[in-house]
Amino acid sequence: MAPDRQPSQRSEVLQGTLEMLTLKLLTAEAMHGWGLSLKLRQISHDVFDVNQGSLYPALQRMLRRGWIRAEWRASDNNRRARYYAITREGRRQLEAEIEDWERSSGAVNRVLRYAFQGG
Amino acid sequence: MAWYHELFSSFVALVGRRRQEREMSEEVRFHIEMETRRNVEAGLSEAEARRRAVRDFGGVERHKDHVRDERGTSWFYDGWNDVRFAARSLRRRAGFTTIATITLALGIGATTTLFGVVKQVLLTPLPYGQPESVAVVWSAWKGFDQTWLSYDEWEGWKARIPAFQDIAIYFDGSSTFDGDNPERIRTANVQMNVFPILGVRPIIGRNFTADEDRPNGPSAVILGNALWQRRFGGDPSVIGRKVQISGQTYTVVGVMPNGFRLPIDFGGSGPSEAWFPLATDAAAQGAVPGPEFPKTGANHGFYAVARLAPGATAATANGQLRSVVAELEKWGYMANVGFHAYAVPVEEQITGRVRPVLLVVFGAVGFVLLIACANVAGLLLVRGESRKRELAVRVALGAGSQRLTRLLLAESGVLAALGATLGIGLATLGVRLIRASAPTSLPRVAETTLDWGVLTFALVVAVVAALLAGIIPALQATHLAPAVELKEGGRGATTSRARLRWRQSLVATEVALAVVLVVAAGLMIRSVRNLLAIDAGFRPDGVLTMRISTPSTFYPDSVRVAAFWDELQRRVAAVPGVRRVGAVRLLPLATEMGDWDVQVEGYTPPPNQGTPGDWQIVTPGYFQAMGLTLREGRVFEARDDMAGSLALIVNRTFTERYLAGRHALGTRVRIGATDTTKWYTIVGVVDDVHHNTLVGKVKPEFYATLAQFAVAPGSTRRSMSLVVRTDGDPTTLVAPVRSVVKQLDARLPVSEIRTMRTIVNSAIGGPRFAMGALGLFGVLALALSAIGIFGIVSQVVASREHEFAIRSALGATPRELVGLSLKTVVRQALAGLAVGIVIALLFTRAMTSMLQGVTPTDPWTFAAVVVVTGLVAIAASVGPARRAGKADPARVLGSS
Repeated sequence: MAPDRQPSQRSEVLQGTLEMLTLKLLTAEAMHGWGLSLKLRQISHDVFDVNQGSLYPALQRMLRRGWIRAEWRASDNNRRARYYAITREGRRQLEAEIEDWERSSGAVNRVLRYAFQGG
Repeated sequence: MAWYHELFSSFVALVGRRRQEREMSEEVRFHIEMETRRNVEAGLSEAEARRRAVRDFGGVERHKDHVRDERGTSWFYDGWNDVRFAARSLRRRAGFTTIATITLALGIGATTTLFGVVKQVLLTPLPYGQPESVAVVWSAWKGFDQTWLSYDEWEGWKARIPAFQDIAIYFDGSSTFDGDNPERIRTANVQMNVFPILGVRPIIGRNFTADEDRPNGPSAVILGNALWQRRFGGDPSVIGRKVQISGQTYTVVGVMPNGFRLPIDFGGSGPSEAWFPLATDAAAQGAVPGPEFPKTGANHGFYAVARLAPGATAATANGQLRSVVAELEKWGYMANVGFHAYAVPVEEQITGRVRPVLLVVFGAVGFVLLIACANVAGLLLVRGESRKRELAVRVALGAGSQRLTRLLLAESGVLAALGATLGIGLATLGVRLIRASAPTSLPRVAETTLDWGVLTFALVVAVVAALLAGIIPALQATHLAPAVELKEGGRGATTSRARLRWRQSLVATEVALAVVLVVAAGLMIRSVRNLLAIDAGFRPDGVLTMRISTPSTFYPDSVRVAAFWDELQRRVAAVPGVRRVGAVRLLPLATEMGDWDVQVEGYTPPPNQGTPGDWQIVTPGYFQAMGLTLREGRVFEARDDMAGSLALIVNRTFTERYLAGRHALGTRVRIGATDTTKWYTIVGVVDDVHHNTLVGKVKPEFYATLAQFAVAPGSTRRSMSLVVRTDGDPTTLVAPVRSVVKQLDARLPVSEIRTMRTIVNSAIGGPRFAMGALGLFGVLALALSAIGIFGIVSQVVASREHEFAIRSALGATPRELVGLSLKTVVRQALAGLAVGIVIALLFTRAMTSMLQGVTPTDPWTFAAVVVVTGLVAIAASVGPARRAGKADPARVLGSS
C-alpha cells in the first residue's frame, strides 16, 4: 500500500458516521487509536481518510459519554498503548445509530432510484 | 443516564488534568511512532517516514486542543483564564479594586449578618416536636389583653375544647441553687404533660411521673442542659442524685436537651433552668370543672400550652373557646369584665412581634446591597470607559462579544469574591455585635450564628452582586464599534449619549435607594425619641437594681424578712456614693404586674364589676430611690412598720377612678374583696408609673410597705428588688453593694443586676434595635451614594473636558462651566429623590406597627430626608464639577 496519496482522491468520513464506524470496529475487539485509524483506512479501501484530528477528539467525546472505556495495555509489539473497548452503553448507542443509518441510507437509495427512473 | 456520566467525567477531567495531559501526549507519540514504522516498512527513509507521519497527523498541538475541548472542561479553563486575567488587571489598579471591594464587602457583610438574624429567628424551627401544632392559651379581660389562666379554666378547656388534644399549665419563678457558690436560677413548675405537649423529652433520665405531679409527692427536679453542664460538668450519673434548691432536697430525675426553652422563656428575663412538678390538684385549688367555676374567676396565675388535635388549628380552638366562654358568661363567670380566652400558635406567640421589625430591617439591608452594587457598577462603567481602546483592539482582533462579556463579568466576579471574603469577615463581627447588643425582648436574636446556611447565603449574595454590578458595564462595553473607537485615537473626545445616560441613571438610582433608607431611619429615630420622651413616672438614670430573695429556710417569718430589709437598706445607704435606697416587689417595665381586687370606702363599683388595683409592695425609701413624684400627703417612713397603723399610697389614676371628687388622704381601703381583712388608710398620692408597657393606659395602683403587707392581707414577700440611686454611674456601685449583701448574709445569691436605664431601653428593645440597624444602614447608604456620585460625576466631567475647553475658549466663565456640569447631576438627583419618595412611601407602610407617635408618611421626616439626601448628592458632585471650571483651553485643545 502506498502511503503517499493525493488529497483529492480521499473523502472525509461522512458527517456523523465516524462514531458509528468506530463503535462498530470496537465490537470485534479492543483497539488503540492508531489501530483504529489504520483499520478504517483499510476497510474502506482508502476511501475514508480518517483524520487523526477527528478521531482522537471523537474518542474523547465517546469516553465522556460512557460509550467506550480506555485502558493502557501492552500492544502487539510490546509497547504501552491506550486501548479502547466498547461498553454496554456504547453497544446500545451503536444499535440506535445503525438503525438510524439504515433508515436514512434506505431513503437516500429510494430517492436515487426514483431519480434514475425519471431521468 | 449519560448526563451523570458526562458530569462525572468532566469532574474527573478537572481533578486529573495533569495525568490526562500526559496520557494524551503518550497516545499521540505512540500513534506517530506506529505510523513512522509503517512508512519505513513501506520503503521510506527513517527521517522521511517520521516527517510524513507528523504531517499526516496534522498539527499535534491543534489536535490536542480539540481533544481537550472534548473533555468537557474547556469552559472551566477558559473561565479560569478570564479570572486570572481579571485578577491581574485588577491588581494593576489597586485603588479602584480597594474601593470596589470595600463597597461590596459592606453590602455583603451587612446583608449576611441580617440574614443570620432572620434565619435564626424566623427560619429555624422552635425547639419543639411538630411546633406547628403547639399553641399557647391565654385569658383576657378589660385592662388585660393577655393574662394568665386559672386552674378552673385549665380544667374547663381540657374537658370542653376538642381542638385541644391536651393542654397543660405551668408557672415560673426563681430559686436558689444551693452549694458552695449559691446562684439564683429561674425555674418553672410544670405539669407532667407540659414536656410531652411541647414534644420534647429529657436527653437523660425521664419526665415527671403522676406520682411526683401531685401534692406531697416525691420531690423531683429536671435540670436544664446549661445548668447541668455548669454545675455537674455534664456528668450523666447526676440522675438519681439529691440536690439542694432553695433549702429543699430534690432528686434529679432528668436533664433536658440543649436549647430547650418553655414558650415563656423566649425573651423577657431569660430561660428557666430547672423544672419542678406543678403538683397541684383540683381539690387544693377548690376547683371543679365546668359550670362549677367560682364566679369570681379565682386566681389567674398559670401559663398554658396545648397540643392541637390532628386536623385542628388555633382558629378551630378559638371558635370552640368563644362558644364555651359565651356560655360561661351567660351563667355569670367573671361578669362584666369582658372575660375571654384564646389560643395563639406558639410560633406566632414567640416571633410574632419581632417579625415585622426583622423583615423591615432585612428589606433595608437589601437596599444597602443594591446601592453597593450600583456603586460598583458605576465604577466599572467608568473603568470600561478608560478601557474602550483595549476592548476595541480585542474586538478588532476577533474576540466575540460573548467572550468580552465573559471577561468583564469575570472582573466583577473577582471583585465580588474579594468582597464576599471581606464581607464574611465583617459579618463575623456583625454577628458578634448583634449577639452582644440584642435586647432580651427580641427572642432568639442573641442566638444568631454564622452557620453554613448563612455562609451559603453570602455566596449567593456575592454572585447576585457580581451579576448586578457587572452586567450593565459588560453589555455596554461590548457594544462598541472598533472602527470609531480606534479612529478617535483614544483621546475619548466624545462619549456617546447612551453611555452618559446609563451613568447618570445610576446617580438617580443611588439617590432613590438612599432616600428610602434615610426615611426609614428618620422615622425610627423620631419614633424612639417619642418613646423615650414618654414620662414613665420615674427617673431611671443613676439607678441600680438587683434581685434578692429571703427563702423561708433562712427567714422563717415575716418579722425576720422585714428586719433583713431594714438592715440591708441601712448598710447600703452607708456605701459611699449611694443617695437613696429602697426595695420593691416588681420593677417597672421589667415584669408584668397583675391586679388585686380592693374595697374603697365610699365607692361602690357598678354592678358585677370589681375594684381592681395593681398591687405594689415597697420599703420606705423606694419612692425616693426610684424618683417617683409625690402629689399629695407623704411617702412611706420608718413608722409604717408592723406595729404602725396601716398606711397605703395610691397613684393618681386610682384617685381619679375610685375617689373622684373626694379627698384621697384619709380614705380607707381594704386589700382583697373579703370583709375580714384590715383597713388601710391612704396617706399619700403619687404620679402614675408606666409599669407593664411604656405606651398604653396606666391602671389604678396602690403601694403598701413590705412590713405592713405581712399584717394584711398577711402575705410575706420572699423576693424583692433592691433599688439604689446614685448621682454618678450606677454600675460602679455593683461591687460595693454586692459585698454589703454578702457581709449581711452570704447565703443569699444576688441576681438580675441591672440599671433602670437598661430596663427602660430593653422595654423598647424592638424599636431601638430597628433604629440602630436602620440608622447604621442610612449612614452607610448616604456614604456609599456619595462615593458613587463623586466617582460618576468625576468621570462625566473628565469626559466633557474637551467640550468645556471649547466653551471656555468661546468665553464661558468658570462659574458657568461648573453650573453646566452640575445641571445634569441636579436633574438626576431630583429624579432620584422623586422615585425614592415613592418607594419609601410603599416601604414605610410595613413599619406602621413599629412606629410610635409618628405616621409612616410623616411629612417632616420626608422633607428633612429630601434636604439631607439632596445636599449629600450635590456636595458629592461639587468637587469634581469645580474641575470643569478649571478647564484650560490652551492645554486641552493644544494637546489635540
